[in-house]
Amino acid sequence: MLHAKTSSPSVSLAGLKRGASALLCGAFALAAIAALPAPAKADIDDWPGLKRTVFDNRDVIEEDGVVILDTPQVVQDAALVPITVRVPPEVKEPIKSLTIVIDKNPMPVLAKLTFGPAAGTGGERRFTTRARIDTFSHIRAVVETEDGKLHMTTKFIAAAGGCAAMNAKDPTTLTDGLGKMIVKTFEPALPSTPIWEGMVMLKHPNFSGLQINPNTGDFIAARFIYNADVKRDGELVFNMRAGSAISTNPNFRFTFGRGEENVLTVKMTDTDETVFEAHSEPSGT
Amino acid sequence: MREDSCGKIQCPSCLARANLAVPDAPLDAHAQQQRPITRQSFLRGLGALAFLPLLRSVPAFAKDEPEAKPDMAVQEIAPGVFVHQGQYAMQSPENMGDMANCAFVVGDEAVAVIDTSCSAICGEALRKSIADVTSKPIRYVINTHMHPDHVFGNVAFKQDAPTFVGHHNLKNALQVRTDAYLTANERMIGPAFQGSEVILPDLGVEKKTELDLGGRALILEPQATAHTNNDLIVTDTGTDTLFLGDLLFSVHIPTLDGSITGWLALLDDFEKRKAARVVPGHGPHAMQLPGALKPEQLYLQTVADDVRKLIKDNLPLGEATKIAGYRQEHAWKLFDDYNARNVSAAYAELEWE
Ligand SMILES: [Zn+2]
Repeated sequence: MLHAKTSSPSVSLAGLKRGASALLCGAFALAAIAALPAPAKADIDDWPGLKRTVFDNRDVIEEDGVVILDTPQVVQDAALVPITVRVPPEVKEPIKSLTIVIDKNPMPVLAKLTFGPAAGTGGERRFTTRARIDTFSHIRAVVETEDGKLHMTTKFIAAAGGCAAMNAKDPTTLTDGLGKMIVKTFEPALPSTPIWEGMVMLKHPNFSGLQINPNTGDFIAARFIYNADVKRDGELVFNMRAGSAISTNPNFRFTFGRGEENVLTVKMTDTDETVFEAHSEPSGT
Repeated sequence: MREDSCGKIQCPSCLARANLAVPDAPLDAHAQQQRPITRQSFLRGLGALAFLPLLRSVPAFAKDEPEAKPDMAVQEIAPGVFVHQGQYAMQSPENMGDMANCAFVVGDEAVAVIDTSCSAICGEALRKSIADVTSKPIRYVINTHMHPDHVFGNVAFKQDAPTFVGHHNLKNALQVRTDAYLTANERMIGPAFQGSEVILPDLGVEKKTELDLGGRALILEPQATAHTNNDLIVTDTGTDTLFLGDLLFSVHIPTLDGSITGWLALLDDFEKRKAARVVPGHGPHAMQLPGALKPEQLYLQTVADDVRKLIKDNLPLGEATKIAGYRQEHAWKLFDDYNARNVSAAYAELEWE
């Protein structure tokens, strides 16, 4: 269901840096850059500042196996980089939150998920999406466990140009079908498995504010999904706050705890305050 | 749901004022380290910058001038039709950007160049190959599409004051990619890339258009989105030679930067066309229809079929890039360089079918 757009408040891109690199666009040839050495600016360590502002300078336990980050070895398209965060089954306790940070992106926090009672335990928990990567950068997944401790894993991604890239190959079709939304559950082979997987996909350009309209040469105003609520049978799986670096046609896969009907309801809101809602069919009943 | 008042926590304007912070995690942490700028002033600043890349070129420093020159040898595949076969490679300091086919057609009065390779130095060598064949003026430089290996030699022909010609989408496509194309190719080719720049088309072809060379005409036909959103095909009426640009790859794996369904549909149309010979964008000097199309059709269809099946099986994008298309691995050069990228593009397109 697509609610009518009622206002278009402006979104500040305050704090944007590296204006020139933002001009990098979705070049086919960019994939090849991935193989080359990182430019010097990637050596500047952004983490101390990010730790202070995003995590209040709290202690962060690094690489203790609580969280695993899967990123591609070779980035094929900097505007469409698949990212998966996993909490392995050995970790038994509930997870309070997950934050994904891309140090060098204009908006470093890709997404912060706060989990609810339907997030589930008793198996591997996963979250997968696709991101735009502006330049060579560290990417971090930080999980907050029930005891309030923060656990982090870090990877380096060699890719550039994603934030400014138009990832639709044909920019004239970018807003076609805007608002089309699909929510699915994937019933496991053994339906009694306590952790199930779901997916939501939304047809939405998710404009980062850094893309150039090829027809006018102007910047396209930022318009992206900044909030999502995912519920199973009415109970919260997670709330997500997202930045501008989620790829065009946002796509999220995630695990949730098995319920009775296993109906997933997803409500997403973009920065124009347009609300997108859809739900899955009952499953496993 | 949405509230007009800015007193509400969900109002994006308020989020904006808080530097897009979420209650307990600022999305833009840098805002606290730097003087915040407004979006307007940011865009104004960038707006001015946006024009810079278009004017930018890589300065030629005599001291770094590479000793070696690319060999842009040409073969006359039909009377007055000359083709240089590019190497099956990514751009590199060794090949200096010689990786795509380029061609020229000599009329009674003038010459038309079709694609100019990937660097100024290759463009200059191509210009010399033309001068070895004819002293007639170069009236047109036609680019079959936006990719760097087909356009960066344009600059070598500026001195001839030709009309630069491309698909009506070519100008915009190049404008938004200029900086990225220059950066990437500078890195990949090195000093031999010096002097290369993007030359935008003077003439954007919107419908079937004829260009006269004296005694023979070229027919230009812009295509719907396929390899890219700015593919242009050219027929030399003098010899019935059809230049397909990168709508036809042979030996070199096809690269997808447009629409896989659009490309497959176009190949079905091309099957019905008649031409004495076709010239691929990457592949031998000349080939025959419809056989020339078959391997490419098979590859693209395999990628489309694999990706559709993997989407149906709920395999995510990242996993699909490790599987789809691999049945075709043996059939193509540069498979590992481009297949996963093609699959990624096809997946993003086909998941919405
Ligand atoms: Zn091409």
